[in-house]
Amino acid sequence: MNAFGLIVGIATLLIIGLGFPLVIQGERRFGYLWWPYMLGIGVLIIGVSLFVPVDWLSVVIGAIGATFVWGSTELKEQAIRAEVGWFPFNANKIKPPFEAIIQKWKAPHL
Amino acid sequence: MEINPLGLISAVIAFLSIWIGHVSVRKIEAITVALWKPMAILIALGLALEYAALSIPNRPLATVLGILGVTLLWDAFEVKRQADRIRKGHAPANPDNPRHAAMLAEPNSRATTLNILNRDPIGRMVDPEEAVRLITSH
Repeated sequence: MNAFGLIVGIATLLIIGLGFPLVIQGERRFGYLWWPYMLGIGVLIIGVSLFVPVDWLSVVIGAIGATFVWGSTELKEQAIRAEVGWFPFNANKIKPPFEAIIQKWKAPHL
Repeated sequence: MEINPLGLISAVIAFLSIWIGHVSVRKIEAITVALWKPMAILIALGLALEYAALSIPNRPLATVLGILGVTLLWDAFEVKRQADRIRKGHAPANPDNPRHAAMLAEPNSRATTLNILNRDPIGRMVDPEEAVRLITSH
């Protein structure tokens, strides 16, 4: 018996679950145009996991990174969910640096 | 310093399984009449992968199986949640599916064949009529 896979599986599920409030709150406070930053943070976190020698901790950090990367692809739809009233809408969002440039990019959605 | 690939492996398998699960759940729910069938298959597959993860001594492989297994178990639950989204009109109904057709035909039904989310955000709230206009007018 090797419980490692099962335990990290459950841990990953819980971490992915944290992605729901991350996307909801992130979009509400900051707006979907922060998606490149969220994507970058996710990639950076996954990069950090490569240098963590403790296996379970490396997995946890990798899963947190994946949650940020996935979250960056969910921000645009979440913005529309708020616009149509399925979630509270906040008109006073904190604008991202280089907003005008990001607006020209197509926000990812999978 | 030695590189530990386990975090990257978990990230890749978590991302891919969420992505594939996300797309498949929507598709499966849209074409299935009896939802318990895909749900039972997903639960059985998820449990089988967790059992395999417990039995395999190889850590990277056990990690992949462990993560894939729990996402399949979650997908079983998501099939049910997707049906609730259809009923509320939060995801488009498939009129060719008798289960969805019945939802569309219910009195005061909120179900719709339109995908309300299929547009770019405009930065302000919209009422239900405008929400429809924004996805149908172009």
